Amino acid sequence: MVPDFRSLDYEIASIKRHRLTLFAILWKKLRVVPEFRSVHFTMKLIASIKRHRFDTRRHPLCIGKNRDSPCLDSEAEDIHLTLQLGVDESYSLFVDKNDGQSIIAEATIEANTVYGALRGLETFSQLCMFDYGTKSVQIYKAPWYIQDKPRFSYRGLLLDTSRHYLPITVIKQIIESMSYAKLNVLHWHIIDEQSFPIEIPTYPKLWEGSYTKWERYTVEDAYEIVNFAKLRGINVMAEIDVPGHAESWGMGYPDLWPSASCREPLDVAKNFTFDVISGILTDMRKIFPFELFHLGGDEVNTDCWNSTSHVKQWLQDRNLTTKDAYQYFVLRAQEIAISKGWTPVNWEETFNTFASNLHPRTIVHNWLGGGVCPKVVAKGFRCIFSNQGFWYLDHLDVPWDEVYEAEPLEGINITSEQELVLGGEVCMWAEIADTSNIQQTIWPRAAAAAERLWSRREAISSGNITLTALPRLHYFRCLLNRRGVQAAPVENFYARQPPIGPGSCYEL
Amino acid sequence: MLALSLPNNSSALLSLSLSLSLSLSSCFRSTMSPGLLKSLIILAILAILRLSFAFQLDDTLTYVWPLPSEFSSGDHTLSVDPALSLVVSGDGGNSSIIKDAFDRYKRIIFKHGESFSIFQMFRYIRPAYDISKLKIEVHSRSEELQLGVDESYSLFVDKNDGQSIIAEATIEANTVYGALRGLETFSQLCMFDYGTKSVQIYKAPWYIQDKPRFSYRGLLLDTSRHYLPITVIKQIIESMSYAKLNVLHWHIIDEQSFPIEIPTYPKLWEGSYTKWERYTVEDAYEIVNFAKLRGINVMAEIDVPGHAESWGMGYPDLWPSASCREPLDVAKNFTFDVISGILTDMRKIFPFELFHLGGDEVNTDCWNSTSHVKQWEETFNTFASNLHPRTIVHNWLGGGVCPKVVAKGFRCIFSNQGFWYLDHLDVPWDEVYEAEPLEGINITSEQELVLGGEVCMWAEIADTSNIQQTIWPRAAAAAERLWSRREAISSGNITLTALPRLHYFRCLLNRRGVQAAPVENFYARQPPIGPGSCYEL
Repeated sequence: MVPDFRSLDYEIASIKRHRLTLFAILWKKLRVVPEFRSVHFTMKLIASIKRHRFDTRRHPLCIGKNRDSPCLDSEAEDIHLTLQLGVDESYSLFVDKNDGQSIIAEATIEANTVYGALRGLETFSQLCMFDYGTKSVQIYKAPWYIQDKPRFSYRGLLLDTSRHYLPITVIKQIIESMSYAKLNVLHWHIIDEQSFPIEIPTYPKLWEGSYTKWERYTVEDAYEIVNFAKLRGINVMAEIDVPGHAESWGMGYPDLWPSASCREPLDVAKNFTFDVISGILTDMRKIFPFELFHLGGDEVNTDCWNSTSHVKQWLQDRNLTTKDAYQYFVLRAQEIAISKGWTPVNWEETFNTFASNLHPRTIVHNWLGGGVCPKVVAKGFRCIFSNQGFWYLDHLDVPWDEVYEAEPLEGINITSEQELVLGGEVCMWAEIADTSNIQQTIWPRAAAAAERLWSRREAISSGNITLTALPRLHYFRCLLNRRGVQAAPVENFYARQPPIGPGSCYEL
Repeated sequence: MLALSLPNNSSALLSLSLSLSLSLSSCFRSTMSPGLLKSLIILAILAILRLSFAFQLDDTLTYVWPLPSEFSSGDHTLSVDPALSLVVSGDGGNSSIIKDAFDRYKRIIFKHGESFSIFQMFRYIRPAYDISKLKIEVHSRSEELQLGVDESYSLFVDKNDGQSIIAEATIEANTVYGALRGLETFSQLCMFDYGTKSVQIYKAPWYIQDKPRFSYRGLLLDTSRHYLPITVIKQIIESMSYAKLNVLHWHIIDEQSFPIEIPTYPKLWEGSYTKWERYTVEDAYEIVNFAKLRGINVMAEIDVPGHAESWGMGYPDLWPSASCREPLDVAKNFTFDVISGILTDMRKIFPFELFHLGGDEVNTDCWNSTSHVKQWEETFNTFASNLHPRTIVHNWLGGGVCPKVVAKGFRCIFSNQGFWYLDHLDVPWDEVYEAEPLEGINITSEQELVLGGEVCMWAEIADTSNIQQTIWPRAAAAAERLWSRREAISSGNITLTALPRLHYFRCLLNRRGVQAAPVENFYARQPPIGPGSCYEL
């Protein structure tokens, strides 16, 4: 079938309000298929977007033991353009020869939300292939009837802009490439001990902790990233990793350090510390509309709290151990986040150390190893899977198949507990990745995780994946290359290694 | 411990150095002499001191890459209006090439949004900017892009402190291509300042008179060993314009694959790797046009007879025999008919007057056992006196070739593989930088026969995933060699004069989304070795 797009017939049923949004998105999508240059097109796209309400029974916020306000409030909410966790990303796509009244074939995407329509457009673009013989874009194996929806509502990629600053242009390139694999959360690990690149208007000296005066993000930059991501159906979850990964905070406000020689963790004994956290969260609440906010809490070495006299005194006055103080810090940060309308996400050490005291709405972010999410959901918390053995992209020795086979629901057999696993996330820690090589460190392995998170478990977990998944992943890598993404060869022993000799991208 | 130590006041520094010296002395007391210990502590304190001050650029250097021919600067700082407008004049001022380039560079210069406030929507409340217009004057109407096109320009950025309070930025050039070079330089003077959230030009007033040293400043791309999608070729062409390179030498075909469509011999591209790894005639036109809008010529190559095995996939008669597939069959007229057909078709696509005919690495053994304008140097090394006098010889095997070539009256392009083959990953930036096309050529008339040089990105171990960090930043080192005045870049200590500027240019490439690798890793294109800034050395 040769779609002829010359006379673009574009219809949107029942959503006048969103006509422009969709139209802009459509053209952006078509542009990324470079073959659309030789224009012979006709396409009729009917994206039907119906009024939609939150289904509280299905909404992840409402699953589990805690059904408090945001969940109930949202019942009457019109979420046409609200991009939140659990937004309906389902769509159907039909590409058929309309052999009845008309000789013109039809391509139709139907979705409940614009974000579902975006996923459908991505799929449509992957059906379109430039044929060098006829010099036209063709859709093979038509008619196509596709009914699609994600398995998990949280499908994330972590970017770390503290170990190496990433220019806005590069972050946008990465967000765009995420949409090709239907990932939907950019977990922005903005700040760490090495640098504090983002502007915080309430505490304007904080970004003095940036590497240099050029390696920074303004508030406007952050808005732009959030908006750019939203147009692709991607939420941005910001993180401040307290108290253990925050040394850079003290460059602008040295009072945040317990002492000049104890710069981490942040000073638990001063109210100022929590004032600053509150200020950051207030400022960020205006920038990041996503309901999840990551509060870190990992790798906290509290030794030097004990060796700093005023902190030691503070501990003694309250009869606290340093471990108690760690819990105090995390819980106080959680309270601040919740008071500003965030749902707190914390790295798993917080759960491992004081699970029973965590705020019940806490989402626990696994990283240390396997078997954590089962424990988390057994206690009624929600979980995000990022087992470092498989889904840490800076671990270059993990081959594609181990990434692919890592299963977020491993060891969780009760349906109600399975529903507490929101999904998973691949983590691109940036100690040895910067603009020069980050994209080939992310791709193609992130795509292996993306299929795990999107597709039906039965469809991708049986049979010989070397025959069923590997050729398709090879092909997807070439598709990324065609779209200008620097995805590395799939099967080199170490990730992101160069090709070993001349050859085709497609041939194995 | 040192890497984590970033004190920002002296008392913190003092107590830190104290605790440092204590811990050091307890660690090393038993094994170290007091003298060594002392120097270690001093070193450590020096390291902390260095880290304790915000990084600054070396103000004595000019952070424009490649270095302009003549320039002077001052000590004013001027702000640039995000609504910068273009004012054109001269016979060539209305060229769409200028308009397109201006829009392109505005997107590059103003990457960060203004701090938004509803009041700023009204012009009269907007903050006042020093520069709100860029004037571009182009004298010639001609848009012909050929070897030796006039790429000179002058750029003035000045506070107009006479009649008007508005500062001015003016580019003047003879051709649109000179104006493009001026726009690139202008964009490199513009820097976003995070304090004021505006784009600023430091060290104004600027008076720049600039022109290239060589007319041929090339980059070779090899799309036979690995196919490069059009999107990627365009990304690379765009990045070439940042370093003022002006020739894309497109080594389209080699023995491994024949990706391009040749309408006269339509089976030739059956030699492509797969049916998707191909360029249509329209693709090639688009690449040529995309490059032209950036002042870059595309020189196509067919590397005959030695690097052409893939030709025979569609026409096996081009092979001497099934077991001798290279070099192409010299005994058949058909071979030359095909070459002629290819050249006829390509003449319509590639307007650049140079065409590369290869001619390198020809192992003729199997000719014996079975039964001719720009060429690689072996043609010259083997039968110089019979080459057509208009031949341009492309050096690659080693040094000392161009001197011989120009002594015989031929023109030469310098690509000594010891320095300018980018697939040689063990060549550090300074060797690339110091390779000199005129080495050993002292007579002016002979020097003029050296057209320039080219860095070669052979693609055996480079594909879409890593080609850009293999090209950059080393290609930039060669680009400055080819553009800037020899005296300005050949004296003094380049570690002080060029290296900080190259580091900075690498960060500029990164800002613009180009995957340029760290400058100083032992092997090219290696990842960063740890967390850190792009700018700080």
